[in-house]
Amino acid sequence: MGKGFCSLFKKDCRMLASGKFFLMALGFLVLYTAYVNLGYLRFMEMEPYQVYLYDPAGTQTAKSPLVQTVPSMEEMDAALLADANGVGLDASAGDVQVVLYKGAEHIDNHRADYALSLLRPSTSPAPEVLGTYTPEQKARREITCELLFFELAAVGFLGIAAVLFKEKGMGVIRLHAVLPLRKDLFLLSKLAVFLLSDLVFAVLLTLLNVGLADGLAVLPAVLLQTAILSLMMALVGMLCALLLKDFRQFTLAYLVIAIFAATPVFLSANTSVKFDWIGWHPFYHVYMGLKNAYFGAAISPVYYAGAVSAVILLFLAVQFVFHQEIAKEG
Amino acid sequence: MKGLKYQLKSVLRDKFCLMTFLLPILVAVALKFMGSIDMSSLGELHFGVLENDLPPQTVTWLERYGPVTVYGTQEELTAAIREPSTNIIGVAADGDSLKTAISGDELDVFQQAAATLPALYDQGAGTGQAEVQILERPDILENLQGIFIPAVLIVAMFMGCTFNAMNIISEKEDGVAFVNEILPMSPSQYILQKVVVGFLFGSLSSIVTACICFRLTWQNIGVMLALILLSSFVAALMGLFIGRFSEGLMIGVVYIKIIMLAFIAVPIVCALIGVSGPLAILCNVVPSQPAFEGMMALSAGKMGTAVKDVGILAIHCIAWFALYALISAKGKKG
Repeated sequence: MGKGFCSLFKKDCRMLASGKFFLMALGFLVLYTAYVNLGYLRFMEMEPYQVYLYDPAGTQTAKSPLVQTVPSMEEMDAALLADANGVGLDASAGDVQVVLYKGAEHIDNHRADYALSLLRPSTSPAPEVLGTYTPEQKARREITCELLFFELAAVGFLGIAAVLFKEKGMGVIRLHAVLPLRKDLFLLSKLAVFLLSDLVFAVLLTLLNVGLADGLAVLPAVLLQTAILSLMMALVGMLCALLLKDFRQFTLAYLVIAIFAATPVFLSANTSVKFDWIGWHPFYHVYMGLKNAYFGAAISPVYYAGAVSAVILLFLAVQFVFHQEIAKEG
Repeated sequence: MKGLKYQLKSVLRDKFCLMTFLLPILVAVALKFMGSIDMSSLGELHFGVLENDLPPQTVTWLERYGPVTVYGTQEELTAAIREPSTNIIGVAADGDSLKTAISGDELDVFQQAAATLPALYDQGAGTGQAEVQILERPDILENLQGIFIPAVLIVAMFMGCTFNAMNIISEKEDGVAFVNEILPMSPSQYILQKVVVGFLFGSLSSIVTACICFRLTWQNIGVMLALILLSSFVAALMGLFIGRFSEGLMIGVVYIKIIMLAFIAVPIVCALIGVSGPLAILCNVVPSQPAFEGMMALSAGKMGTAVKDVGILAIHCIAWFALYALISAKGKKG
């Protein structure tokens, strides 16, 4: 049995290599790393609001150094137009008038009051810091988690389906009906190949993007979550590949998953947009498991129990469909 | 003409193709009717307070700046502040004043707000001592939905590309491509027949999507139509390129994915961070950028920009078509 598994494993690896699957994964690794290090961290910066003051008579003597003075009203208009989040203070008429571009109502109140308070600065106690991460560490963890989830859910899923459709087309499944091997080995070797390649991918992605020291600290927890997600996606991919007629039908299923399944999860998990029904979304829990692993938060045993039973159920379903397929072929 | 009839017949028989074209329409309907997700809350301040810790007038004062959530215990409050996906600022009473707590991983703007909140409170800010003049924003990106709708439209146009690429790749795999080569048909005839199917369905799907999402007036309906038709044509041509250069379905899908990513990411990133100068001109190399810009300009009522974008798209159409014809003519000779 061991020998049979080994040769199947080798064959699957060769097939993936010839389908340029590993090359593609490597390409995406480079792309993601470049994106995180060159683009994402820069996009995510959000400076405090700039405050521009027009005060020709010099009445505001106590103003904070954060206030930028402008020599004319025209310059203030230009500054505000270029920086629509900025706030203008016009002290030319005696009383100070606040000028700002409309945003959300609450934020507008805060911007106006904040700008006025800078004219009479007073020190207040620094806020108590409860967390352990800097904004950059948080941003790196968050984006690495998102990218890993996307890669596992999308690319791994696509890869296994492509491989299975190819084998289906070539009649390999029919061949397995007469091979003197345990039927499950066919499934297990595919799962093993994808699991291994996903784990390697997760290690590289985490170390390259979270940082060596931080990455090593969270790696064990991340690998465990990666294994769960990878097994689930590979099994769902197999199920789709066995049930659907051809690869084109599969791409539709894939689009549906990519758009309808992933978007609400990303919105709910990463922003303050929260949906009431998101608890019923299976991807949400898996994503939160991965995210908690990256942020070193505790993960409830209920989740593990659910994940393991989901993997087992999916495996049984795939096994059932696979045996049916073999019976049909043979 | 007869060849085209066969192409259409084979498309209508394939449920996958039809569904591909229906998908953007479904998303458009969902966007329109499921109600807009309120994206404006993303940049807002959120406060967390302990039950019975602050007097009611202080809570009302805080609510001027953003929603306030009340937590029963200190542990719950701490957990909410530390939760990485939110930017909750913890507020507690400190004698007559306030003190704040943050998790330290927030963006600068939230950290600054937390640091200055007690000073604002001490000064009695918001009691209306100064006149506030609020200007209307010059751009239409007040909420992110303005970006979503053109993005869905671009996906709709892109479906023509997916369809054409898949069509050609599967013909290649089935060996029909070899049969096509010996048919009595010139390369340009072949290209036209292949482009037309994806183009027709892509533009139909986009037109329906546009009708659902945009409130079109009679003046801009013509420009919108031109934008849709031209960019669907370019997308359909892209499909031919993908079909030509990919050896198998799997590689084809990878190419489609990469091109789709570029098609959607370039215009959205450009719109979000406001690229200008030579980089903005360079972005026009991606055909979805002028299409997206044109649609945004159209909904903002800037007819001049929209017409310029139609021009850029027309250049794209001619250039890509010529390039493809050149490549396939060369391939035939070789």
